Amino acid sequence: MTQDTLARPAAPAPAVAPGRRRTPSFRRQGRAAHVFLLPFLLGLVLVTAVPLLASLYLSFTDYDLIHDPDPVGLENFGRMVQDERFWASVGVTLRYVLVSVPLQLAFALLLAVVLDKGMRGLALYRSAFYLPSLLGSSVAVAILWRQLFGHEGLVNGVLGWFGVEGQSWLQNPDTALSTLVVLNVWTFGSPMIIFLAGLRQIPEELYEAARVDGAGRVRQFRSVTAPLLTPIVFFNLVLQTIGAFQAFTQAHIISGGQGGPLDSTLFYTLYLYQQGFNSFNMGYASAMAWVLLLVIGVVTAGHFLLARYWVFYGDER
Amino acid sequence: MNHMNRRRFMQLAGIGALGAAATTALAGCGGGGSGATAVRFAWWGDTVRQQKYTEALELFARQNPGVEVRPEFADYDAFQERITVQTAGRDVPDVFWIPSPQVMSYQDAGLYRRLDDIGSLDLSAFSPEQIASYEIDGELNTLPRSVLTAAVRYNQTFLDEAGAQLPADDARSWTWDGLSEFLIDYTRDAPEGRKGIHYNAQVDLCFEAWLRQHGQDLWTADGRMGFDAAALAGWFEWWEVLRRAGAATSLSEQEGAQPEWPVVGDKVLMTFGNSNHIADEAPMFPDYEFGLRPVPVLPDAAGGHRFGYLSRLAVYAGIDDDALEAAGRLVHFTINDPALLPIVGLSVGAPANPRVLQEAYAVANEDEKKMLAVVEQEMAEEQKPRYEAPAGSGTWRTIMARGVEEVALERASVADAAARVIADIDRELGQAS
Repeated sequence: MTQDTLARPAAPAPAVAPGRRRTPSFRRQGRAAHVFLLPFLLGLVLVTAVPLLASLYLSFTDYDLIHDPDPVGLENFGRMVQDERFWASVGVTLRYVLVSVPLQLAFALLLAVVLDKGMRGLALYRSAFYLPSLLGSSVAVAILWRQLFGHEGLVNGVLGWFGVEGQSWLQNPDTALSTLVVLNVWTFGSPMIIFLAGLRQIPEELYEAARVDGAGRVRQFRSVTAPLLTPIVFFNLVLQTIGAFQAFTQAHIISGGQGGPLDSTLFYTLYLYQQGFNSFNMGYASAMAWVLLLVIGVVTAGHFLLARYWVFYGDER
Repeated sequence: MNHMNRRRFMQLAGIGALGAAATTALAGCGGGGSGATAVRFAWWGDTVRQQKYTEALELFARQNPGVEVRPEFADYDAFQERITVQTAGRDVPDVFWIPSPQVMSYQDAGLYRRLDDIGSLDLSAFSPEQIASYEIDGELNTLPRSVLTAAVRYNQTFLDEAGAQLPADDARSWTWDGLSEFLIDYTRDAPEGRKGIHYNAQVDLCFEAWLRQHGQDLWTADGRMGFDAAALAGWFEWWEVLRRAGAATSLSEQEGAQPEWPVVGDKVLMTFGNSNHIADEAPMFPDYEFGLRPVPVLPDAAGGHRFGYLSRLAVYAGIDDDALEAAGRLVHFTINDPALLPIVGLSVGAPANPRVLQEAYAVANEDEKKMLAVVEQEMAEEQKPRYEAPAGSGTWRTIMARGVEEVALERASVADAAARVIADIDRELGQAS
């Protein structure tokens, strides 16, 4: 008689004595558990699920927040196709995602590899590099960016030493988005910490074996570090991509909420916000939100599908 | 033992929750202990204005011991967002200021309560003609708290340093072309980096003055755009002449199409804006003396082009009957009581109440007196009717700013940019209707 060794073994029956569930003590514990879960469940339903479903309904309506929603079917979705600024915001967001996420991850990985090696003041460096992530996309950082890249900002001041008369980087449609990319790359602290944790998980014996085989540092990185770090890269890639699609604060503060100059920093979420809270087209804004959710879902699913071709989990043959 | 501990904990938690609920319920009675009537009051501004009005509300509370004012303050943009969301939830403040782009939107939403039947609100300071001019759709449901006019503010210190004088303030000299030539001349000999004016083509009241002088309007009585592409292109071109001549700052120098005064205040001789801005902005540069004038006038300007913008406030249509009398007292205090002025100043503009306006001179500083004089000068002239911004016009400033960027960054011709602005505003109005 043969046995399928790949089949998962049947889950063992829970080691609960017959009649245990019916004891008064068990019921009391069950009630207590529900009481403790209640705040979370209430929050989940009232603060997340209900608004989510409400926005789904509103996406099929014409709703200006003042009058009652008026069902319009798929009109909001059809309107997006003809909306020039919608497509402008899609273009800006895609450029931002495609440029800033790889740059940020590469920078974070580079710093993590450097910091992974023993050096004096390592803890201080780690903290200092992580600090921008704490400030993140805050209003303070966005205002600081204006001081750095403005007409009389620090960057132009430095360029001035070399006789270069700079323009405001934020007011030039050709460079405004680049400054936001730099801002995002600068907040590399979170992925860097995760990379550091991943690097610490790679067994030292593998490096020793590689060295015995004559591998230099580059070869060690290529053949040991990189493959074993791919799950961490994948994790960071998914998180940062989702975050980049949802980028809002930087552009809102730096462009004064306009997405200018000439829509060059009009992120998708910023345009969504303008439609919802400036133009009061809440139905249209809800439809945009659902399209964004769908796009993020598809992109994330794509990441997972492609992951099988490049992510190495160590236990694979 | 554990079982008892958990039971004890649950009992304590339950008692705590009941206590918290009882406390919340008592607090919800709105000062029930004192028996005061609560009135929610919403206004906007910066931190300074928030502090000044909070102080004024304390005075009101002392004058009206039976009324408790609950302030709801926000930045201008946040204010609009919040009150719109409050409208969606039918939770609008009892007394609220009205942002200029939303006057007709709120009217359309039925937010305003009629004001001429509130016993505690004295309207005797206003003439019947004034009262009639404040009505919307034949009903007195908003009142002006202040009046703003389009104005030109200039740096007298810079003029003195250059030994220059503005064109005379008469119909023959104070013209758009005359001012343009003067600014170009001034910039030619100005110290390094100083310009005649900053590029401020999206400033709404001055643009409206331009339109009215051309016989057009910003908005029409039936809620449409009151201007055409030619008038807008002429406005853009006036600014472009200055920019091309180097007499206006570039968008780069002024950090955007909507410059902030602290960025440009010491770099330019002149700025266009609202008459009331001098109250807040002149003190930012205490070393300089500023002057104020009405905007220039076309030699063949249309009759009745002068105008003032009325900044309004209203009482919510859904206010509790119990709070109406107290809300009337608060509105009365806001528009009729001269005691307000020494506390809040004149940063919101000249008082709309003619009696309070005259008393304002006694408490105004030198800059504010200039503002009062310009408003009085403007309002003394013949005026044809002015119409409020219709529903759907809330984004017209954003559209205008984009048009200004296209022109000033040389990404579109003046004619193309004007046509696009017209089309975009028209589309927004169409969607709203």
